Amino acid sequence: MKLWVYVVRRLILLIPTLIGLTFLVFALEHAGGTSLFLAAYIDPHLTGTARQQLVDELTTKFHLNDPVYVQYLYWLAAILQGDWGTSTTIRQPVATGFLWFMPNTIMLTAIASLLTWVISVPIGVYSAARRDSILDQGVRVATFTLYSMPIFLIGFALFFTLGTAWGVLPAQFNIDLILLPTIPSAWFDHTNSVSYPTHILALDAFLHGDWAIAWNAFLHVILPAVSLALALLAGIIRILRASMLEVLEQDYVRLARAKGVPERVVQNFHAKKNALLPTVTSYGYLVSGLFGGAVVIEDIFTFKGIGWWTTRAFLTDDVGVVMGSTLVFGLILVTTTLLLDLLYAFLDPRIRYE
Amino acid sequence: MMATVTETKARYDELKLSARVFLANKTAVAGLVIFLIFVGDALIVQIAPGILGVQYPNDVIPPQITQTNPECTGMPPEPPSIAHPFGTIQYGLSGIGCLDLLQLVMKAIRIDLAISFFIVLVGAAAGTLLGVVSGYFGKWLDEVVMRVTDVFFSVPFIILALAVGYVIGRTLFNMALALIIIWWPLYARYGRSLTLTTKEATFIESARAAGSGRLKIMFRHILPNVMPPVLVQISLDVGTVLLIFSTLAFIGFLPSGALVPELGVIANIGLDFAQFGYWWTVIVPGGIITLFALAVNLMGDGLRDVIDPRRRS
Amino acid sequence: MSDALAIRDVHVQFHTRRGVYKALNGVNLRLRRGEVLGIAGESGCGKTTMGLAVMSLLPRNASIPRGQVIFDNKDLVNLPREYSERVGDRFNPKENERILRRVGKAMTRIRGQRISMVFQEPMTSLNPVLPVGFQVAETIYVHNPALLARRVLARSKATPSLMQDLLRLLDQTHGDEAAVTEFAADHGLPGIEEQALFVWRREDVHVSRKEKAIRSLSGQSMNPLERNIIVAVVKAGSIPPQFARVPILSRVVRRVLVKEGYRKALELLTSLGIHHAERVVKMYPHELSGGMRQRVVIAIALANNPEIVIMDEPTSAVDVTVQAQILDLVKRIRTSVSASFIVISHDLAVLAEVSDRIAIMYAGRIVEVSSVDEILHHPLHPYTQMLISAIPTLEAKPVEGIKGEVPDMRDPPGGCAFHPRCPFAFEKCLSIVPIDFRQGTDQLVACWLYEGK
Repeated sequence: MKLWVYVVRRLILLIPTLIGLTFLVFALEHAGGTSLFLAAYIDPHLTGTARQQLVDELTTKFHLNDPVYVQYLYWLAAILQGDWGTSTTIRQPVATGFLWFMPNTIMLTAIASLLTWVISVPIGVYSAARRDSILDQGVRVATFTLYSMPIFLIGFALFFTLGTAWGVLPAQFNIDLILLPTIPSAWFDHTNSVSYPTHILALDAFLHGDWAIAWNAFLHVILPAVSLALALLAGIIRILRASMLEVLEQDYVRLARAKGVPERVVQNFHAKKNALLPTVTSYGYLVSGLFGGAVVIEDIFTFKGIGWWTTRAFLTDDVGVVMGSTLVFGLILVTTTLLLDLLYAFLDPRIRYE
Repeated sequence: MMATVTETKARYDELKLSARVFLANKTAVAGLVIFLIFVGDALIVQIAPGILGVQYPNDVIPPQITQTNPECTGMPPEPPSIAHPFGTIQYGLSGIGCLDLLQLVMKAIRIDLAISFFIVLVGAAAGTLLGVVSGYFGKWLDEVVMRVTDVFFSVPFIILALAVGYVIGRTLFNMALALIIIWWPLYARYGRSLTLTTKEATFIESARAAGSGRLKIMFRHILPNVMPPVLVQISLDVGTVLLIFSTLAFIGFLPSGALVPELGVIANIGLDFAQFGYWWTVIVPGGIITLFALAVNLMGDGLRDVIDPRRRS
Repeated sequence: MSDALAIRDVHVQFHTRRGVYKALNGVNLRLRRGEVLGIAGESGCGKTTMGLAVMSLLPRNASIPRGQVIFDNKDLVNLPREYSERVGDRFNPKENERILRRVGKAMTRIRGQRISMVFQEPMTSLNPVLPVGFQVAETIYVHNPALLARRVLARSKATPSLMQDLLRLLDQTHGDEAAVTEFAADHGLPGIEEQALFVWRREDVHVSRKEKAIRSLSGQSMNPLERNIIVAVVKAGSIPPQFARVPILSRVVRRVLVKEGYRKALELLTSLGIHHAERVVKMYPHELSGGMRQRVVIAIALANNPEIVIMDEPTSAVDVTVQAQILDLVKRIRTSVSASFIVISHDLAVLAEVSDRIAIMYAGRIVEVSSVDEILHHPLHPYTQMLISAIPTLEAKPVEGIKGEVPDMRDPPGGCAFHPRCPFAFEKCLSIVPIDFRQGTDQLVACWLYEGK
């Protein structure tokens, strides 16, 4: 069996999960009653006859008097067409909001993941190779402690120490507020605080040659990304270390040594390659926590991604966004898990040949 | 079936060995000690709060404080000192101050522990049972359960908790409920995989051959094999669950008026001040949470030593 | 010294939570050049430990309180032994690990090149995420990159007409290795001979295809960078440090040489009886059968023409038919290869097939060493006698087991370790360890029964 067959099979397995996800969101939206459902589509300031008219229109549109499965189909149709309701916090369609804020969150989690892997792999491998040494013990204590900390504590600790108290790095927003008015309107929408075309301020500024803005915006990414990375790497290092220790006991590692392969190569090539496999699998489970953590970190640092937006919406009764978040985060997580599975299949030849 | 004398003795010996293995792991014992301190605090606050000097165990702000201490209104948080080992916090800007953080923490531990255990025990019980049934009977039931758990796994915990909480209402009990809803799929999957491995074991075949009914097999043979790892998982999850729901409380799950002594809520209250230099208002509750999770994780390590036959020797 | 390897009074102990296991208690053994020495014994008697001790592949909780392993006039275990002697009871695995790391560094020149080992389980001996061809190629790349470079260089320098001449030479001399080697040297193509001979000796290919294959050994193309690298490696006899350090260059070096390693691996695997080696070389271990995996592991062991090959239970993990194939293979190998072999097995029948001499091991000591015939027909040691009579044969005879169990090596019996199970044991056996007594022309037995005979 080839790799592409595995890919196709995996994609097909995706479909029931996606459908199930839509069921879940639909159920949530309707569990709170019709008024909760409609709240996403109705401007709260609207009253009286105008409101009643809108309610009637929506009732017809979503077939709210028909059986549940009919309602589901019309709801799904609306979702697929991009009509997710209107957000009260940004006063724009919900879908648009997601488009605006998602790139920031993706960037944040991607950078955090990159940082995590770059740091974790050497440390995990070395810690296992020099088992019970001072470094290893230090690593174990540090990761154990980080692993036991709530994400908000890690975020807050960095926020307070490096950000507010010592002022080493900026700790709020995506850019220094002072610089905000100086951003050219050619590519920045000042009313909604959105940059174009990628909606990532640092990147857009870079693309438009505005180095000062780009640099400043980039600085604002560091603390949130590092916080997330710290939370994530505790888990990764623990798993990598454990699987390295197991791998180093294996016969094939002993054979590599018996072949006369230098110890450094045995560890960094033969052992590491195998130890990374369960680590990638575990990372798949940790990614859910990564996105959840992003929500908290964005909240603490007021970093404008979908996590921040979701908490805002939750606190201000912006229903459409809360429900939409479930769907969006679900889609992101499912996609990420799929990509990770494919990566694993690529790395482990045994999987493809089943 | 009556247990014979030798069987009881054998079980007692096993327990003694388990205890010895656990106690050999010094960090696990340290974790157990810390855990017991937490539990002790919770029990004392529940039964006789006066011993610790705690009044009004369910309130963040004691009812008469504004009347008895008018100067506390508008009093900013104070750093840790002899009088207030953890410092004080203030609720709401230019709101009520002088709230001793140590007392709040002692109250909060009771509530946090209760919630954690509630969530994990209910979620584990429901989930494991469903998982075992699903794994044992297989076929379409199993497929359905797998797909449903897949869907629950596809949304990050915190987001799902927010959505569910929004729908069913933002109260403390509902927060626990939302977490139970999120937690059971984990145990369903776990119980299912353990059941599948146990099902393959040959002693099940011999039980079937001997004519035991299916339900009987499930309860008499499968559950006892599934329980030990699940119990270890439960003991670990008590810490993880606390991490999650305190984080939920921190970002504001409970409406701003709901002043329950809960570590995440306290941190949330403290956050308003924290950026102005009053760091202990967030670090202390966060630290207490960390301490508990640390203790639980260390204990879990020790328990794994007991359960896993390889590490036992 | 005509001995390939000398193991003198080696003691090995494993320090575990449950106690100290005395695995080897004074092993004395001499491996003669060119012989196949079988080591027999029940599981747990220390045979594998002995093999690992020679290779310095013991785990960190193993101490070597006494003994020497002499290879090429050097003691391979002197560092761990000195550490053991120094600390005595305060043996610390963590400290030992540091010593072992130093030993490991020194042993990289010996392992896989001068002494190699084939492990017990072919299933798990191969790295599951690397193609088998790579795993063979790697061992050549690590120890003998110049060989690989020479082969590539030879092919690039060879011309079709030269190859035609070589073909004629092969025909005339019927594949005489010396002649071909001389031809290669004379025409400045060192490295072409083994490639040509490999093709020539194949039995599964038609003559016309062989001719075509040999002719196509010419005209290997290389880009200038590759050519420079290859030439430098050939000149230096190894990979020059400046190539090894520079990241991009080292990658190219590796790529080119490993690719050539695959070609050589193909040759090795074919000579060990693997069909369609071109395909096998790219496969992963889990795609191969047990017998094929075993051949791969053997190929790895033989790749650099070592002086000593240690085979630990080569037939135990495979079924009977494959067992026969492997034994045939071992017999074939020893005629074509000049190495000395140590074959470890619990199965005397297997050892009888391939060994010249057999050593019987019990509770961490060698109790008898003799030629195969003597062991089978005139076993001297009571334990050996029982082992022989326990072998099921085709004749109808009662199969006798051996009474008793293998002793707990945390507290082995005093004196002769076999005395609790020995029907002939007397007073001396209980307290004094037997020394070796010479019997006949070439037999050694460690038993007080033979004192003064």
